Amino acid sequence: MVFSSLTFMYYFLPIVLITYMISPPKLKNLILLVSGLIFYAWGEPVYIIIMIISSFVDYYAGIIIGKTKSKKRQKRTLIFSMVVDLGFLFFFKYSGFLIRIVNTCLKTDFTEPDLPLPIGISFYTFQSMSYTIDVYLKKVNVQKNFLNYVTYVSLFPQLVAGPIVRYEDVENEINTRKVNADIVGEGVGYFVKGLSKKVLLANNIGMLWTEIKAMDYSQISVVTAWLGILAFTFQIYFDFSGYSDMAVGLGKMFGFNFPGNFNHPYQSKSISEFWRRWHITLGSWFRSYVYIPLGGNRNGKYKTYRNLVIVWFLTGLWHGASINFIFWGLFYGALIIIERLGFRKILEKLPPFVSTTYTFILVVIGWVFFDIATMPEAISYLKAMFAGRDFCDSYSLYQIKSYAIIFILCIFASTDMWSKFTHKLENVKKMRNPYYYSIVITQIILILMCTCYLVDATYNPFLYFRF
Amino acid sequence: MKNKQKRISTLIFFIIIIILPLITTFSKKKSFSETENRPLQEKPSLSIESWFDKSFMNQSESYVADHFTGRIKWISSKINMELMLGKTNLNDVYITDSRMLEKITQPDYSVIDKSISAINDFANSNNVPVFVMMSPTSAGIYSETLPENTPQINQREIINYIYKNLDTKVSAVDVYDLLYAMKDDYIYYRTDHHWTSLGAYYAYSVAIQKLGFTSIAYSKYNIEHASNNFLGTYYSKTLYDKIQSDTIDIYSYNDGDTVVSCTVDNGIEKKEYNDIYFRDFLKGKDKYSTYLGTNQPEVVIKTNLESDKKILIFKDSYGNSFIPFLTQHYNQITVLDMRYVKDYKEYVNVSDYSQVLFLYNSTTFCEDENIKKIAY
Repeated sequence: MVFSSLTFMYYFLPIVLITYMISPPKLKNLILLVSGLIFYAWGEPVYIIIMIISSFVDYYAGIIIGKTKSKKRQKRTLIFSMVVDLGFLFFFKYSGFLIRIVNTCLKTDFTEPDLPLPIGISFYTFQSMSYTIDVYLKKVNVQKNFLNYVTYVSLFPQLVAGPIVRYEDVENEINTRKVNADIVGEGVGYFVKGLSKKVLLANNIGMLWTEIKAMDYSQISVVTAWLGILAFTFQIYFDFSGYSDMAVGLGKMFGFNFPGNFNHPYQSKSISEFWRRWHITLGSWFRSYVYIPLGGNRNGKYKTYRNLVIVWFLTGLWHGASINFIFWGLFYGALIIIERLGFRKILEKLPPFVSTTYTFILVVIGWVFFDIATMPEAISYLKAMFAGRDFCDSYSLYQIKSYAIIFILCIFASTDMWSKFTHKLENVKKMRNPYYYSIVITQIILILMCTCYLVDATYNPFLYFRF
Repeated sequence: MKNKQKRISTLIFFIIIIILPLITTFSKKKSFSETENRPLQEKPSLSIESWFDKSFMNQSESYVADHFTGRIKWISSKINMELMLGKTNLNDVYITDSRMLEKITQPDYSVIDKSISAINDFANSNNVPVFVMMSPTSAGIYSETLPENTPQINQREIINYIYKNLDTKVSAVDVYDLLYAMKDDYIYYRTDHHWTSLGAYYAYSVAIQKLGFTSIAYSKYNIEHASNNFLGTYYSKTLYDKIQSDTIDIYSYNDGDTVVSCTVDNGIEKKEYNDIYFRDFLKGKDKYSTYLGTNQPEVVIKTNLESDKKILIFKDSYGNSFIPFLTQHYNQITVLDMRYVKDYKEYVNVSDYSQVLFLYNSTTFCEDENIKKIAY
């Protein structure tokens, strides 16, 4: 199930919320567990078994690591659980890619398995692994209750698309948590914000990218190429951060405080800063569980750069099993190494406008490799961006006219202008102030607007036969 | 007092997400949507099978969406928001101040070429005069009214291309120029993709001379405004309701000869009617079907005109409002719609006819892959 659907918003969510609120505290985790399983099975009725096996293994691994005094046995248990988790991830996500590489390099002819990618497997694998690793590192206590553990893994607000909530983040809340109307109201705020980002902005601007992406790149003008990739730049940000906001909001409705995942990444002044603001939970996961265990930056320059390359290779690969994603990851790795080599110092001295523009343009170029499936096509798209057939044609002008307002809204909503503005409104304390209700009214309007788009998504006139 | 805003948020959010599904659940369900011209999703049933093959989930999603309370109003509000954002194209329909126009896409010339060569083959293998009439659509005539830079393909060029590639044995009936000259008249529906009876009349006045007759003067007709609240396919595609609804006109010629019978073959059975207007459709949504009914494989119209002239017409739905004008000139008119006919020889013997007319609008002709079937 996805959050931005009528079934979730108007059926699943109210039923779960009401059942959850009227049930006694003892049953609350059970209700979350059952709803998490239904939520997941709704999209993945068969492969849900993998999630259950994975969490079962990690739960027992945690118990064994906690019980045994033998360091060796602890380590073996941890490795076993990681092999199972990563094994599933590798099998479903990367085996086809690996076979393709082997076939190309060795000219063999193994058939590629036709495997579906279980929804959210990249996310829940990382979540669940954070638990066993942290138990091993004694950063968290062992969760003795299997029900509580599966509740954590299958917590539906964060299950399929992040943020990557580590066990550590919710360790206390999984056992006891507090909810009241104020906290729920805060959650509603996040949820409506996220829903609007996804439904009103991401889907809308995404239509422009869908159209331009399908065109012949040798025929498009420079302006069209930039419009297209900027549309994707905003689409992916609002899609992803919208989903994370909804997750945070839903978490609050049930008393959880999930970590934030985005912090206005497009106004970063360097690539390193961009990755501290973009998909924060993924970056910090790789930092904690790959970069630092490899030695981080403590073993001299050479090893630091080696570690960075490994982390960025894996970050790219995590996003998808293809050459583009690896290239995209290494592109960032290279930029970050360049910044570390001293470019950072120059950036700091530049006026903010220049360093922000530098960062933004590189990020936009990165998205070309991220979303265009093959390298030759990505390169011909880049060519269109910098040396297109014309600079601007009538198609570009038409699309500028059609999407100008949406672009302006996107710019406004992706920088901190918007949050500064709402923050001011939130702080209106006096009821007599005419703006006192403005947040609430905005929320109502946004919910209704989103509902219009959700209903329309399924509008499907069938016109050809009878007319 | 500090967090009263948040509490109100909570309260209102709950009211919305509880009330809307409740109304939906207890409201009466329709099984067919006239606006969308399709059956709505039935209530899905839960079983082990339907759960594991996900059909239960998929059907539930459609069921909720299809029956969501106020569905059409939500959608049309969305349309108005899109227009406010500056978009002029909704579901491939351009919205202008006075009418809706289709977006003409770059045609696939391989499809066009196959249809043209099929018509050429047909003309060469049958010893009957063959005529081709390519009607422009409203988008072809009114594209200039679209805002500057709107992507739109020139339909005149497509039509010229088709005419240029026809065999010399085939006579082209070019109605574009006349329709373009008459563009201030009510020749195309504002909310539908068809031409009006008046548009069809102008086309008739050109075509009938090519076919060897004198056209009947406009003033000789009695025109009945059979309905003035027709909302056509462009309306259904967009649900944009700020454009004036259309009028269905029925032309009758009292001094003339009358239709004796209209036999409709729907592929399964033949039914005989004594009128070519199907007025029952005036009560429903699909009012254009008043002309000759819905598209069917074959319609045979016989008149009491004393003449041995018979015409065979291959057409799309543009023919439906055009054909009534021919009843004053032919003893028999046989109409075939190749979209529903596999082999026309099963229906007609071409040598029985004095003339053959292919009547398509430019858009159908560019897309329809059934025309090529007349070659074999």
